[in-house]
Amino acid sequence: MHVVVPVAVLENESVSMGLVNLLSTADVTVLGYHVLPEQTPPDQARAQYEDRANAALDDVMAEFEAAGGDAYHRLVFTHDRRQTIDRVADDAKADAYAIAGTTAGVERLLVPLTGDVDVDRILAFVTELVGERDIAVTLFGIAGEAKADAARRGLDAAATTLADAGIDVAMRFSKTDDPLDALTDARKVDLLADAATDHDAIVMGERAPSLQSFLFGDESRRLAAESVAPVLVVRREPEPDLEPVDTEPADADRSDDAGGSGDAEPSDGATESGDADESR
Amino acid sequence: MYPDVESGNVTDQPPPGDGPPVADAAVPDGTNVEGDAPDVEPTVETPEADITQESELERTIGLTGGLAIGIGTMIGAGIFVFPGIAAGEAGPAAAASFGIGAIIALLVALPASELATAMPKSGGGYYFISRALGTLPGVVVGLSLWFGLVFATAFYLVGFGFYAVDTLAQLGVAVGESLVVPLALLFGASVTVLNVTGTENAAKLQNGIVALLLSILVAFLTFGGLDALGVIGGATAPEQFAPFGTMPIFTTAALVFTSYLGFAQIATVAGEMKDPGRNLPLAMVGSVVIVGILYVATVFVATSALGSVALGEAGETAMVDVGRDLLGAPGALAIVLGGLLATMSSANASVLSTSRAIYAVSKDALLPARASRINLRWGTPHVALGLAGGPILVLVATGQVQVLAEVASFLHLVQYGLICVSLVVLRRRDPDWYDPSFKVPGYPALPVVGAVASFALVAFMQPLSLLVGTALMIATVGWWAYYARDVELKGAL
Repeated sequence: MHVVVPVAVLENESVSMGLVNLLSTADVTVLGYHVLPEQTPPDQARAQYEDRANAALDDVMAEFEAAGGDAYHRLVFTHDRRQTIDRVADDAKADAYAIAGTTAGVERLLVPLTGDVDVDRILAFVTELVGERDIAVTLFGIAGEAKADAARRGLDAAATTLADAGIDVAMRFSKTDDPLDALTDARKVDLLADAATDHDAIVMGERAPSLQSFLFGDESRRLAAESVAPVLVVRREPEPDLEPVDTEPADADRSDDAGGSGDAEPSDGATESGDADESR
Repeated sequence: MYPDVESGNVTDQPPPGDGPPVADAAVPDGTNVEGDAPDVEPTVETPEADITQESELERTIGLTGGLAIGIGTMIGAGIFVFPGIAAGEAGPAAAASFGIGAIIALLVALPASELATAMPKSGGGYYFISRALGTLPGVVVGLSLWFGLVFATAFYLVGFGFYAVDTLAQLGVAVGESLVVPLALLFGASVTVLNVTGTENAAKLQNGIVALLLSILVAFLTFGGLDALGVIGGATAPEQFAPFGTMPIFTTAALVFTSYLGFAQIATVAGEMKDPGRNLPLAMVGSVVIVGILYVATVFVATSALGSVALGEAGETAMVDVGRDLLGAPGALAIVLGGLLATMSSANASVLSTSRAIYAVSKDALLPARASRINLRWGTPHVALGLAGGPILVLVATGQVQVLAEVASFLHLVQYGLICVSLVVLRRRDPDWYDPSFKVPGYPALPVVGAVASFALVAFMQPLSLLVGTALMIATVGWWAYYARDVELKGAL
């Protein structure tokens, strides 16, 4: 499992110890980046800031290595942050990328399963990320009246999958008064940010670019800004012609792990523990 | 992660702190008078990023962005400033002058494309020439590119001044031509300051402006073309094609060549283009073909609509009169707005190119290193932008449209000629690192004709322009002798 952690290294951004420890089960590529305005060729910034940036990156690397995982680092000067993260994540065959936020230690993850996301990939990632550690997971669903039952069944199935892997799962479900199934992203981000207050980090699925994300920015970035917590964004299935190889073995590994650690506590309270309807 | 040079493949484990191996390029040699050596960083180019020893440089400009730079730089001059002046000098044959310019531009754009795909680095023509022909031609071209862009920008700004005055006139505020230069100065200063302090992404705006301009022009040309061919509107008296003989066709071609300077500016961002092997040739050749067709068609429509005498009398903003003649007041308004946007976009794009041109020579120790400093506050190259903006304002103050345009063309044409020469030299010498993914058709005839045509066009300029241009080039040789005589750049990739 591989996670890219982008750090705006020349803007004094750092990675919180909580996130470093959370990612100790993953291989990490620390992506130091610096976004330049179009007036400035990236090469010009390299000449001036490369040494400073690499020194700062070495410090971040040392933290990850101390926490246990394998860590690499790369430094990129770019005009386009999004494009750089995508390219580096593709290169590294990363399963997820992080949006740094503050947290001390991670005891409870919020995992929203709303909208058009790849639930299987998210669950596989969460299972491997949690590993044998004592980190609880709250699955979170939002749906309107019409689709509430279907969404709830999906959430139940997901909870069972995680519980079978030995993870302490809770569920939360927001049924909205809004008759429209398709909530606006802004509303969704509000609901999720509220739910995030009693969680330490968020794992969510990457969504296909849409008009809303074009106009207002990524849902995940906005959620990170609203909730202040670190967000791990599980990337979508790579294009078939790009990386046909890597995903299958990763899945196989995961189910082995789950078999090893999952028997211990098939937490029977999983589906009831946090089933709070928050109708709004 | 870090590409392996031999196979072009990406290997899985990045060697920490250990850079990629680099092909057989020569190591730059020697230092300038301050003791600085060229900063030549071994680089592995992939379609998406350049990878150096310690960092990566993302390539973010796509084909659309490249075309927008080229067309955005060119279109302001060729369509909105020159038609009146050109028609006054060459009559309806001004269309032929623009055609000659387009052919020469194309003859240079093809060799420049080949070189750019072999050396997709920022600096454009300067970079190719310094690596192929050595330091002295490099200094002359590099500094001439700076000055040439400064002259071109000043010319675009004066054009903007004329359109600003005309816009005010359309709004009922008649201020007269005495305000042309003050308005141009004001706008020139704003462009410079905004480029230093602005971190908003103006590239999307530029793309939008170019798209808007192209739509205005296509609508205008469709209507005007129907009118000119007598399908609609009143008949216009046929005019003699070349009332002043053939000589003015060539002198006018030399004058209006400034309308084609933008294509090589695409090469100044070559280091930031995605998939440069494909996008650079397409953007350079494509932008020349697109604007060449638009120019010839526009001048044809303009001379058919108004007649070349009336056009010549209307001067820099003659196109507004053409718009009024064809479509009444809305037509005039559309052209005035188009002219404002086009000259603004030309000026802005070429200030940015100037800053990149200065960076390219400063990086090679041909100018003091502080010329390319950038600030962390805005992340912008404030020194280089100042070195562009300051001289531009001085030149704008002269208000000399034709001389500014011709000196700009002169300095660029020398560069263009040497680009063609560089291509021939590199093909003959064939160093191992020279591996272009786009190859010029019709070698060696095409680059040879391109070089001869570029140099020949210079001969048709007015004496004052020749004098100023030559003096500037001699000054650059002096700078080389004083500052950078010991720097060796040939083959230093």
